[in-house]
Amino acid sequence: MALYDRDPASLVVADPAKGSFRVHRDAYRSAEVFEREKELIFGKCWLYLGHDSELAKKGDFHARRVGGRDIIFNRDKNGAVGAHYNTCTHRAAKVCRERTGNARTFTCPYHGWVFNSEGKLASQNAKTGYHDDINADGHLDLRSVERLEEYRGFWFVNFNPKAISLYDYLDNARDAIDALMDQTEAKQVILSGEHTYSINANYKLLCENSYDGYHLFPVHASYFDFLRDQLEGTPAAALIDQTLADYTTMGAVRALGNGHAILDSYVPTGRPVAQWLPSFGPEVKPEIEGKYARLVERFGEERANYIATTQKNLVIFPNLVINDILSVTVRIIEPESENRIRVTAWAMGPTDESDTLRAMRLDNFVSFLGPAGFGSPDDIEMLELCQTAASHTPVEWSEISKGFGKSEDPCHASGAPDDEIQMQAYWTMWDRVMNGKIKLEVE
Amino acid sequence: MVMTRTEAEDVLFHEAELLDAWELMDWAAMYTPDSLYEVTSPACADPYGADAANTLFLISDKYDRITGRAKRLMKKTAHAEYPHSKTRHMVSNVRVTGGEGDETKCRANFAVFRTKEDNSTIYMGEAFFTIAGSGTDARILHKRCVLDLNSLYNQGRLTIIL
Ligand code: FES
Ligand SMILES: [Fe+2]
Repeated sequence: MALYDRDPASLVVADPAKGSFRVHRDAYRSAEVFEREKELIFGKCWLYLGHDSELAKKGDFHARRVGGRDIIFNRDKNGAVGAHYNTCTHRAAKVCRERTGNARTFTCPYHGWVFNSEGKLASQNAKTGYHDDINADGHLDLRSVERLEEYRGFWFVNFNPKAISLYDYLDNARDAIDALMDQTEAKQVILSGEHTYSINANYKLLCENSYDGYHLFPVHASYFDFLRDQLEGTPAAALIDQTLADYTTMGAVRALGNGHAILDSYVPTGRPVAQWLPSFGPEVKPEIEGKYARLVERFGEERANYIATTQKNLVIFPNLVINDILSVTVRIIEPESENRIRVTAWAMGPTDESDTLRAMRLDNFVSFLGPAGFGSPDDIEMLELCQTAASHTPVEWSEISKGFGKSEDPCHASGAPDDEIQMQAYWTMWDRVMNGKIKLEVE
Repeated sequence: MVMTRTEAEDVLFHEAELLDAWELMDWAAMYTPDSLYEVTSPACADPYGADAANTLFLISDKYDRITGRAKRLMKKTAHAEYPHSKTRHMVSNVRVTGGEGDETKCRANFAVFRTKEDNSTIYMGEAFFTIAGSGTDARILHKRCVLDLNSLYNQGRLTIIL
């Protein structure tokens, strides 16, 4: 795409006085820009690896690709969580070939080197030829990822040894994660099953879409039609149109620092924790209302109301989406090139919900979300339309100005749910990281 | 009466024909208010025994979503299938595996080809059916599709009906 390439220093152009915020389309369509992102964004930011609950037992592991790097995410025999590069220190073969499982050791299929669950080299499968102290300095152990830290069970890696802490990096996104994890006094866990699929679009297009309040009605009209059909004849029928009419005046988009942002909105789908709607059926009403009452006891009315009734679409810069909506999904976006991504999404839920509510949570999930739901595929179609059109037309700029200019720092702005404040925060951070305007490093 | 293999094939071939013709409301009419249409997730550890009540599926449609899916896909606002992709459902290796009264259990291999714009992809796997009645009165009570995939990496999404 050299045809379009331009200086990355000027890909994001903001003019607060004019309320103008523009992103050059090379940021989506240029292979050269993507090469720089691999180094500057994915090499320096904290990237989500997996959730603590996915490693329930000692020895549990998942082989994942994160930021282009293959990693074994596991719990060792002492119970500690590890992240090791999935390559043999001998002559490079991939040591773990299963996507998931439980293992006391990892044996390289090539020459039989054996690594224990902590990544230590346990055997070279050879009686002669090696000095006894050849691994005295540990350089033949599986290489650990430079940094591995967690916040409330969400494990992240960073490939920069000098990176600031995950805690500092998450900034106000911590509060959004708290609102999710505080839904239960038991544990929030990743539920069985996952969705893995691909999209022919730049990773940032999916980030933008994941908390875009502006696209809701044009893209998801057919989903709202379905909701209306479902509720027809019930007292909740009028709720849909009424809530949708209020959509732009209730809730907000809020930037949370460091490019993270959240869309807080009100969409009448109901929420397992904790907003009951007639479409859920009477049998779970006491349970959901009980959960709400308990939240009020624990956090007071205002916070409980926020936790329970607000639909939250959170994007943690640069590629983690946590949607706490009609169901909870944790979604990572793994870029493969400037125009292709692999998406992996999981459902999350608390361990202390009834079987009925659990079933409803999962049913809600597949009704809208995932590659076969009534919502996400239409989003995906939009992203692919954006990608193909940006790649095959000479038009330079995308206009992301809605709501812009009201705040000094776009990374700490807020606005109406259908504003583009969250994307302005994202792109401001992107520009800062790409152009060295923010370090994300301790001295 | 439990159907013979040929009778079961007639039902499955009819379903395939409706789907390829995008006669989706007629397709939905092959289902009943007690029906269930499921596609397990490719990542599912035990796709035959899995239960959508505790495991994430790709599709788990009771009747309201079976008809809802058909209705939605016929709208221009179902962007993912606008314009409609071309599909070809191949149904083979049909085996009647059991049943009683007027219910028949059968399984079949399937390969569904989908072309959207210039891209063609394949959804292949095995489907498990419980069917009530036979002939034009046959109604599908349960259909579970198990894909021979590890992800939808090549297919991207599953917006057609298998
Ligand atoms: S490459 Fe792993 S043992 Fe040789
Ligand atoms: Fe959407």
